Amino acid sequence: MKNMKTLLITLIGLGLILSGCAGFQTSNNDKESVNEDGKIVVDFWTFWGSEIRRPVVDKIVEDFNASQDEIEVKHTYSPWGDIWTKELAAIAAGNPPDVVINDINATALRGKEQQAMNLSEFYDDSFSEKFYPELWNATLHEGDSYGIPFNTDTRVLFYNKDAFEEVGLDPEDPPETWAELEEYAAKLDVKNGNSYDRLGFYPLWGVGYDVWLLNANGENYFGPDHNTDTVNINTEKNVEVLNWLKSWKDRIGEDVVNSFQAQIDSQQGNPFFSGDLAMIVQQPTFYTQIRDYAEDLNFGVVQLPEYEEGNGHTSWGGGFVAEIPKGSSDPEAAWKFIEYLTGAESQEYWAVKNFDNVANIEAAEAAAESDELTEQGQMVYQMAVDSMEDTLLTPAPVAAPSYFNYINPQVDEFFLGSKTAEEALAKAQSDVEALIEKNQ
Amino acid sequence: MGKRGLSMRRKESIYGYIFILPFIIGFIGFTAGPLLFSFAGSFTDYNITSQMEFIGVENYQTLIVEDGLFRTSLWNTLYYVLLSVPLTTLGAIFLSALLNQDVPGIRFFRTLYYLPAILSGVGVYLLWMQLLEPGTGMVNLVLGWVGIDGPNWLFDPDWTKPSLILMKLWSVGGSMLLYLASMQGVSKSLYEAAEIDGASRWRQFIHITIPMITPVIFFDVVTSLIGGFQIFQEAYIMSGNGEGGPANSLLFYNLYMWNQAFENFDMGYAMAMSWILFVIVFILTVINLKLAPRWVHYEGEDK
Repeated sequence: MKNMKTLLITLIGLGLILSGCAGFQTSNNDKESVNEDGKIVVDFWTFWGSEIRRPVVDKIVEDFNASQDEIEVKHTYSPWGDIWTKELAAIAAGNPPDVVINDINATALRGKEQQAMNLSEFYDDSFSEKFYPELWNATLHEGDSYGIPFNTDTRVLFYNKDAFEEVGLDPEDPPETWAELEEYAAKLDVKNGNSYDRLGFYPLWGVGYDVWLLNANGENYFGPDHNTDTVNINTEKNVEVLNWLKSWKDRIGEDVVNSFQAQIDSQQGNPFFSGDLAMIVQQPTFYTQIRDYAEDLNFGVVQLPEYEEGNGHTSWGGGFVAEIPKGSSDPEAAWKFIEYLTGAESQEYWAVKNFDNVANIEAAEAAAESDELTEQGQMVYQMAVDSMEDTLLTPAPVAAPSYFNYINPQVDEFFLGSKTAEEALAKAQSDVEALIEKNQ
Repeated sequence: MGKRGLSMRRKESIYGYIFILPFIIGFIGFTAGPLLFSFAGSFTDYNITSQMEFIGVENYQTLIVEDGLFRTSLWNTLYYVLLSVPLTTLGAIFLSALLNQDVPGIRFFRTLYYLPAILSGVGVYLLWMQLLEPGTGMVNLVLGWVGIDGPNWLFDPDWTKPSLILMKLWSVGGSMLLYLASMQGVSKSLYEAAEIDGASRWRQFIHITIPMITPVIFFDVVTSLIGGFQIFQEAYIMSGNGEGGPANSLLFYNLYMWNQAFENFDMGYAMAMSWILFVIVFILTVINLKLAPRWVHYEGEDK
């Protein structure tokens, strides 16, 4: 009967050894990631799985592989909701993919937490000139880049030219300042009892209050290079802007705002397509919806109006970077692919096929003149390129990650009427300062 | 001496352990291990990838003393649990009492009321976001027919949590099924005896049906209490941008914890939060178990 004991011990021992082996394997970074042809395999993760985007990524990967003898990129699609938590788990386990598309706004934070690799060893001084400076700066932590900008976006004003003509406005002379915007909007309104047959404009569709604050200030709440030495949330100008935004809702009425909002959310029923809304702030990609759902619409597009003349047509954007997670098995090969991915050729292909803003300046400018776009498409894309010059990003400073979670609720309370603009901004200011204090 | 070997008893217990070995390994690897790890991690500044320094009780101290959002999220969660648990329990009992009647077509109605329980996840949330749309949604449209000017539901901080509770009430079918099964098991002779004594239907319900189904009520209350504290997806999807808006009214405990762990990469902090939640739920469950003998009736049990 001693056998039993031996058996038990052997079993447990075996279990431990097996699990031990497994533990070894996952944390082994030097594993050979080569395929049967002897090529180095670069594991590339994106969340682009839609029937529009996926073929474009796959084509770029295919072209890269065809140009290579030594590297083979393998594209893996992971849904938007999972990709970055999966990446994080893979980094912690020591077996991450080699290139991942990630959010540009938290790139510095990921650098600080050592999730993404410091890429400064790969690029020289002139490399950054290929990209819009604002995008490049958003990827820096202590001067080094932790992700190369891939695509981006901006916000522009779409307006209905026929409606302009109808009320005697020059369709080639869209509003340049906030004052003009208000004046034109009032002219374009067609009121019918308590509701509107046509609404001129409402500032909080398509963008949030923060874009208007950015437009008025010409900078985010923090100091230059997103340092947190100064926090400018509770300022006189911001109070004024919030009150200005609220005055629109007070004038138009909550019910009208809500019913238009519901139609905008439903996409196909967007009141801008039917001419019920004369102007709307949107991303340039909004053009593809007009093309698909309202091809006869006679529309124009212009940069965001400025706060007052000479203040600048500041707009807001976000975007994505290609990064190498810490622990990648072959960073050199991964970098080669990133260089190709963010190079002019594949960036232009991406821009034209997806009608998406890209980070590479040369590619963006070429896309605006591409024969593959219609005349209207070229016009909108050119406006997007122009707007990029005035587009700011609002990346989270490392000392204030997700700072907007402390500002948005206060501003919500202001718009709901339970706080004044001064009260809301004062609370937001002190909360964000406390957050910075905690993280320093 | 060694020849005697193991007694039958010991042999059997060893066999037993071998049989449950897969569970033990799984439990240690996937439950107890991570549990202990998160407890240890809650005293560190663990960020998942690069640092894990011991910082004592700083996480707990910051949470309890300084963090306003922690308090908001705890309050939101308590509010939700305190309202949703009694309401869904009462709703499920009421519904199963109705569906326990002997009327033609009752099978059809049972199926109909159970249907929402088989739908789950994000699809349901998106459906309810459309139903609750203030201007064009079905709920306010129907309220309008009877002259009620419906609220702004998911856009009004005072109405966001009631909106979620309304949605939960719609899908009480799952626990309704448990109540229905247990009501069907109540002996007919009890009702017959009560009828002969002249008891009304209402008194039969209060004095026979309810006491006989208390074990299921107890089970339902315990599980939905724990489930209530775990509310996450609803807020993540239905607060629009996943931040818990408007005005932080949908910032539930688990959503805030998730944000700390995966947006701010402050995993140590999130682990400390999870242990505070664990202690709260543990205490409530112990209270529940202690109170149970006072009102839960098990058939065939001596009192």
